[in-house]
Amino acid sequence: MTRLIEVPTQFDDRSFDQFASAFAGATADGERLLFDAHAAEWASPYGLVGLLAAGQAARSSGGGGGGGERPLLTAPTHAEVLTYWTRAGFFREAADLFEIHGKVPRVKAADESDVLLPVTPVRAAEDVHAVVSKIQERAAAILASELGLDPKATMGFAMALSEACQNIVEHAGTGGWVAVQAYDWRRKLAKRVVVIAVADAGVGFRHSLEPTQSKRFGARWGDAAALEAALIQGVSRFRDPGRGQGLAGIRRYLARWDGKIAIRSGTARIAIVPKWDDDVPLKDGLPAFPGAQVLIIIPEQGSTKR
Amino acid sequence: MIQHIDVHAVLQESVSGIYTDLVTRPTGRVVRERIEHAMATAHGAVALARIDFTRVGCIDYSCADEIVAKLLRGRPAVLVLTGISDGHREAIEPVLAGHRMAAVIERSDGTLEAVGAPDAAVALLEELVARRLAVRTPGGTLALTLA
Repeated sequence: MTRLIEVPTQFDDRSFDQFASAFAGATADGERLLFDAHAAEWASPYGLVGLLAAGQAARSSGGGGGGGERPLLTAPTHAEVLTYWTRAGFFREAADLFEIHGKVPRVKAADESDVLLPVTPVRAAEDVHAVVSKIQERAAAILASELGLDPKATMGFAMALSEACQNIVEHAGTGGWVAVQAYDWRRKLAKRVVVIAVADAGVGFRHSLEPTQSKRFGARWGDAAALEAALIQGVSRFRDPGRGQGLAGIRRYLARWDGKIAIRSGTARIAIVPKWDDDVPLKDGLPAFPGAQVLIIIPEQGSTKR
Repeated sequence: MIQHIDVHAVLQESVSGIYTDLVTRPTGRVVRERIEHAMATAHGAVALARIDFTRVGCIDYSCADEIVAKLLRGRPAVLVLTGISDGHREAIEPVLAGHRMAAVIERSDGTLEAVGAPDAAVALLEELVARRLAVRTPGGTLALTLA
């Protein structure tokens, strides 16, 4: 028997919980999974890397239905959507995780336009080097000319991206993906934004921090407490006093450029919410989803008041 | 004597000949260990080591911690950082401040500046003067006494 998981038509961080809920329900009995994206109309970088993480989790937990089969994925039917997902590098990565149904166009992952970094696997430190090297070549012009950031901000952007990717290498216990894109965010800001999305289906923050932090939190310990410890208090699973600098550095960078970070792990989600956004700082009791998913948004500079 | 260490060259030898960025902890660890080795095996007594970041692209917080903070903690000699860009400072300063440490930066005009935790920065410059490794210039800035 195959369990169906519908990919939301507008698939981004806002609709991710709906997707996670369907995923949690469908994976309960180890049947083969079918991710149905045929009706998808749009997906943010967060949606794309999140879908790959779901495929990764399904494969590792037997969601291929046993016998070494991969979970199924029906590709979007809208030609424009299909082309965009291809240009964004999604299908190049998805081919290893899913048995894909639908006609995927032969389009190269983007080397120009708004896709600053197509969906890129992150498994080791060497991958982070490649990501940082590539993003500096491409991001400088967009950050300065389209978002109005000081040209010096490009290096800070690369630092933030590096630290976000390193969370996978250091803590996930498995590989993950990163994607970076610039687009017009009409719904929320009527401005250009650059978005970094990072996702993995690894052990998640709670599991990573449990040996060193769970006693300190006592009964409060859980996914939300682990995210709070990592993002707000800057703690790390390592005893080295220099650890925990990465997320603190990302926060400093985002504070300067009025940006946002949100991290979802397990059943919780934490966010540093700028004035222009109405997200909530901490949500607990969400549908369980493996690993960690990070969203970073940097808006065009100038007035970002709603 | 002053020892000169070209971080870009160390990076190219350590990790890859194609990347110029100091990112990730493993990279930082390898680069620091090579610098420590170079300092430990230098001929003659090293009073001061110039750690030159010229041609290094991006430094992330992990590498700033793994290289600069840990080298300072070991303190095999007085360290002076050169070739530091604004972007490099963005990573190095908060990392040092978090450790309540300071480091000396030699600007392109030869003047010195201490960055990091304010108390540690003042103490570090005073120490350089007391050890006659730096002197006050007529313009009121500090410069190294050794060339």
